[in-house]
Amino acid sequence: MTVGMTVDLLRNSQLKFGAITFFAKQHKGDTCGSNGLPLTPNSIIIIGRAQFLKTINSPFLCEFLDVIRGKHERTIVVSQYCGTPLANLVEKHTFSHLQIKKIAYQILQGLSLLHSLKIVHRCLSNENILLQDNDNIKLFNYGLYYMTDNGALVPFPVLDVLYTAPEVYLNGPNSCYPDPKVDIWSSGICLAELALNKSLWSSLNLGQRIRKILSLLQVNSSIFEKIAREHNCYETYLNLPQDLKEIIELCLNIYPSKRPTCNELLSNSYFNDFKLENDERDRKPWRSFDIFTIKELYHWWQLTGGDVYQELKKQGLIRSSPPILSLPSLVLIEGSLLGQERNPATLYDPRIVQMPLDMLYQRFAHISLPAFYPLIHCKSEIISNADPPPYDATGLPLVIKEKDPEYQFHRIILFRRLLHGYPFTKDLIIEEAQKDIPPLLRGEIWAALLNVNSLYKMDYLRLDKYSHTTTDRQIEVDIPRCHQYNELLSSTEGHKKLKRILKAWVYKNAQYVYWQGLDSLTAPFLYLNFNDEAKAFACLSNFVPKFLHKFFLKDNAVIIEEYLWKFSQLIAFHDPELANHLHEINFYPQLFAIPWFLTLFSHVFPLYKILHLWDKLLLCDSSFPLHIGLSILTQLRDKLLTSGFNECILLFSDLPEVDIEKCVLSSMQTYTSTPKSITNREYENELFHQKNELDITGVKIEDLKKELCPRISPNDVIDFVRHRPEKALFIDIRNPTLFLRCSLKDSINIPFSSVSFSEKLLGNLGPHCNLVKSKGDKVVVVIGNSDTDLERFPKFLLQCNVSRVCVLHGGFNVLIPVTPTVLQSGMPT
Amino acid sequence: MLEQKYYLYTNDQHGFEYSILIPYDDSVEELTHILIIKYSLPIYIEKDLTAHLRAFIDDRTRDYYKELSDDIIKKRKDQEINIDGITKEWEKVMREEIVEFGEKRCASDEELFATAYHKLVHSPALETMLQLEHMYSKTVRQKTEEKNTLIKNLSDSQTEEMNKAVDRLEQDMTELKINELVARHYETHSLLQGELSSELDTLKEAQRREYREWIMQMLEQNEADSSLPTPSSPFIPNADRDFQSSGSESIHQINSPLMEESFTIHLGSQLKQMHNIRILSANVMDMCTIQDNERFSQPTPQLLQTALGLYSNDLSGLVLMTDNKIGSRLTHDFQEVCQRTTEFHFSHVEDQLEKISNVAQQYFKNPQIGSPRNSNSELLQTGDFYMTKHSNLAQVHVIFHMVTDDTLRGSDINSRHPVVLGLRHILKTACSNDITSLTIPLLLQYEMTEEMTINWCEKRAELVFKCVKGFMIEMASWGGSELKNLQFMLPDDISQAVFTSMTEMLPRIFKVCNPKILK
Repeated sequence: MTVGMTVDLLRNSQLKFGAITFFAKQHKGDTCGSNGLPLTPNSIIIIGRAQFLKTINSPFLCEFLDVIRGKHERTIVVSQYCGTPLANLVEKHTFSHLQIKKIAYQILQGLSLLHSLKIVHRCLSNENILLQDNDNIKLFNYGLYYMTDNGALVPFPVLDVLYTAPEVYLNGPNSCYPDPKVDIWSSGICLAELALNKSLWSSLNLGQRIRKILSLLQVNSSIFEKIAREHNCYETYLNLPQDLKEIIELCLNIYPSKRPTCNELLSNSYFNDFKLENDERDRKPWRSFDIFTIKELYHWWQLTGGDVYQELKKQGLIRSSPPILSLPSLVLIEGSLLGQERNPATLYDPRIVQMPLDMLYQRFAHISLPAFYPLIHCKSEIISNADPPPYDATGLPLVIKEKDPEYQFHRIILFRRLLHGYPFTKDLIIEEAQKDIPPLLRGEIWAALLNVNSLYKMDYLRLDKYSHTTTDRQIEVDIPRCHQYNELLSSTEGHKKLKRILKAWVYKNAQYVYWQGLDSLTAPFLYLNFNDEAKAFACLSNFVPKFLHKFFLKDNAVIIEEYLWKFSQLIAFHDPELANHLHEINFYPQLFAIPWFLTLFSHVFPLYKILHLWDKLLLCDSSFPLHIGLSILTQLRDKLLTSGFNECILLFSDLPEVDIEKCVLSSMQTYTSTPKSITNREYENELFHQKNELDITGVKIEDLKKELCPRISPNDVIDFVRHRPEKALFIDIRNPTLFLRCSLKDSINIPFSSVSFSEKLLGNLGPHCNLVKSKGDKVVVVIGNSDTDLERFPKFLLQCNVSRVCVLHGGFNVLIPVTPTVLQSGMPT
Repeated sequence: MLEQKYYLYTNDQHGFEYSILIPYDDSVEELTHILIIKYSLPIYIEKDLTAHLRAFIDDRTRDYYKELSDDIIKKRKDQEINIDGITKEWEKVMREEIVEFGEKRCASDEELFATAYHKLVHSPALETMLQLEHMYSKTVRQKTEEKNTLIKNLSDSQTEEMNKAVDRLEQDMTELKINELVARHYETHSLLQGELSSELDTLKEAQRREYREWIMQMLEQNEADSSLPTPSSPFIPNADRDFQSSGSESIHQINSPLMEESFTIHLGSQLKQMHNIRILSANVMDMCTIQDNERFSQPTPQLLQTALGLYSNDLSGLVLMTDNKIGSRLTHDFQEVCQRTTEFHFSHVEDQLEKISNVAQQYFKNPQIGSPRNSNSELLQTGDFYMTKHSNLAQVHVIFHMVTDDTLRGSDINSRHPVVLGLRHILKTACSNDITSLTIPLLLQYEMTEEMTINWCEKRAELVFKCVKGFMIEMASWGGSELKNLQFMLPDDISQAVFTSMTEMLPRIFKVCNPKILK
């Protein structure tokens, strides 16, 4: 349990990464897409395409980590980079035949996976094959051709001159199609270099090299033999094992169709030695678990101040010349730029820059080994006391916690384990998520909180996202307007995925219709699960019934009306002054809050705010959005109170900046302090809100809309009486005779008939008015019966700015059958 | 674009056909389900069908590529492809696009000087540098004044002589003699003018050379021992001659606009992007002219910021209006401002204009480029603009010279007017060249004319506000640098009423940020 061991866990020779950078093609002039909207910048298309590469995981491929977009179409690709390029070893190191065989096998394994995913490497070379400490190899930079849409999105050709197959040259620089056979040729050349231990044609210049490769087309005998002879290695050639020669010869066939595929090569008897080993690996039935991977390491590295852009700059790969030196001199109205020379700093430089990790090692040096293996279920105090004290970040603002590398380290280590155990660890996940959710794992944690089950992929697969439907047009109009400041969502790939998810949703939910806003609602899920459409869809599918039950019905008027009315009541409950003001100027929630609730704020806030908001929302029930709405109004309270109708409309036509952390805190606060039945709705999803006779049911919308103050359920009243009587003030407004006969414990009697409502003065309440005045944050429950007017009295209290007024649902009589009784009779003592 | 090809998939077992586009990019599993739904197939064949489809697709994809790739090899075998041509084509692309094969080039003088200057200007040497520049400019200014006085004196004496001669016309002077006199006067005048101008040019050239050498030398020294050399120069007048008299009171009055109001606005519906906007009324040349009179021995503070930003990624630009001839007399005033002091960094403004004019002519005369312009005309069109760069102006580095015409005076221009379109190109150019502060004429002209009634002004301002807003929203997706400061300039003699109406209009068009109130 020494400090050294921890760093060893991090300081793994394979857990290192590097970056390359290039410029995407600039769109020429002023062109528009077929939909009349501006074209998506190529760098954004690349970012969208590149995401898929993150999902590829193979021992023989460098893991793809990130793609970053800079100014003026600069694109930076970060990926695992470790070991030594074979090119550095050729001519300096002798490779045994066995070693070559193993390398060949692993190259083909890597390529085979890529080809099965329809990815063509296209620039495979000995520079891009990295030999690891353990003698295995990893392929690097295999994603460039794929992410640039077969090279179409970048101005430079994606290839390595020497290793490129002749047909690529013959097709010319403008043709691009992903024929996997070019990679087979390249592996042939790579292996030939290793077998001959010679860098091929190293003394030739660019043109000569291309000619040399094209000249191979004329060779009628063995190409490998010709190469060997040209390099004075015929001797070595002769001494090579026959089967190796054969493999290389197969790869170097000038007819692409006659070159075998990866899988055909892999089944060659030459590789028999490795097949057993492979089969064994396949047989393991369980998912192996790593306590962390290079993806987490990269995340922590960034948090400890690692900055790829700065690193590239420091190491000279990003050079910038002052912009004033390269201005165009003339721009014509047609959009042609004249007199601007190509900035040499924008040329493609294929160098790789390794990222230094020392900062991270230092920052994490003191973390003890047990921290990597957190105890989750532990009943022994001795053992849990032996654990190091948890890293203390309580009380810090969320944004700080999200930027604290050490805190994120602990959270991620813990959550990874919990997620690995999902669904059995669901309770623990909820418990931990109450504290906060680490951004790196948010997608998976949300899926867990939303109860996404393991069959989600299959479910999604079966939905038709392909056939044309009547909503297609609307979807296509909405998508290019949905959170387009976000790179993922504005990419071509993002548009495609969003469309598929929306179509799948429409297909699956035939009882609902597509409402504008569903796109915004889907956006956070897609953003978090960009590489797992099915999961994004599953999250959406579980999210809607929980929070937006029936909101998407073709006729959702009643549901929305009820919801907004509850919102008004909630404002009245917590902030009577504001409610009275808004009522006075006729500024109703219908005028501003529909998009809030219909999209759960995803239409009005930028993504980063939605994420924090929903982190909490997912842990609460469908009344939480009302509290969020309330907290937004609270933040704007001063402005609203001094504004008239017109100013308010203007203010909400484009929601002003809202401090989201404050918003989350205050909505959590009102959410926990408000009795649940206050926000009870008739159209709640009964799956999530089970009710009995002491809950509120059967309130018609016409009745609801007469009530300015919310109802409270008998259940909540009983709860107050039994457990927290000091938190409530019960006002019985029946006549004194009835009150004396039987009343709720601790209740006071202000007979309805004794109060004059003509003036809005609390004094009119009579002798008990001081109790009401000094009630503090007590809930005021008005109890009446069918003979009393249950609208006038609470309305009067509201107009006198008394907060937290509510009315007992069902009147006094519902309390009578309750056992053990909560009633008393005779004068209270 | 690569052509895709349909292949017909037939399934005999279940008796259906379906044509599939190869290469097929979507998920095969999904295709299976689409087919199951479409042909009402039993769900249990899911696995078999997927496997079958996958094999079919893989097979056809191979065929598809085989055709493409083998075809080209065969063509080569049949000698249909010219190896030389294709090799050259590849070489060209690679030389143009990949560093490794590109021309090995060293940093140009310009770049070296830029780096040196940028480094020094961000060091304690800044003050010395500005002081030196200031002294240089004083010398030039003195020389210019001297020149002007000499010329004026000459003109005066010539006028006097001429008057006398005319008076004596009745007596001993003939018209011929008068004409001779005129010719002689003209000759002496231009001789003196030429002489003095060339003297001035020589001085500037010498200053420029000296200054540049000094900068490079200072950088070397700075790198060696980080001490600052003191410049000594014959071109610098006695520095503290009138040091005492330098008053601080009027510095503030200089270059300050007559009326101005600033706003912070945000654009975007969800993610809000902040920008600063200022409306001001001033003489546009105040942005360029370095105010100076004998009383100040210190450079004006604005120069400091301009110097710091010169080689940075935050340039400042100004839109000037001109006509369709490059360097026409409309830019004369501006050119004069540029010549008041030495340009230490870039070519002189005439040279820059000449170069631009060459570029334009080359483009217009070259039919290969396929320019849609009438190749006979060397003139620019309304909405075109050319750019010059400067280091010796008060608040700007880059000037956009926008070509306009008389239609601008009318009151019925709309968002498709070429000048508005040109404005969009200016914003785009600014965005992709790191010009992050920009000043544009709100009324699309800098001078008040008689047709500019309140109504006219309001209509014009609304158009410009709205169009610029649209362009700025568009800009967010261009992926360049964002415009941080935008200034809308009004003529200096605009009435208070019109100015107020403009500042009231702005918050109706742009969303103004709510002030943060500290509680």
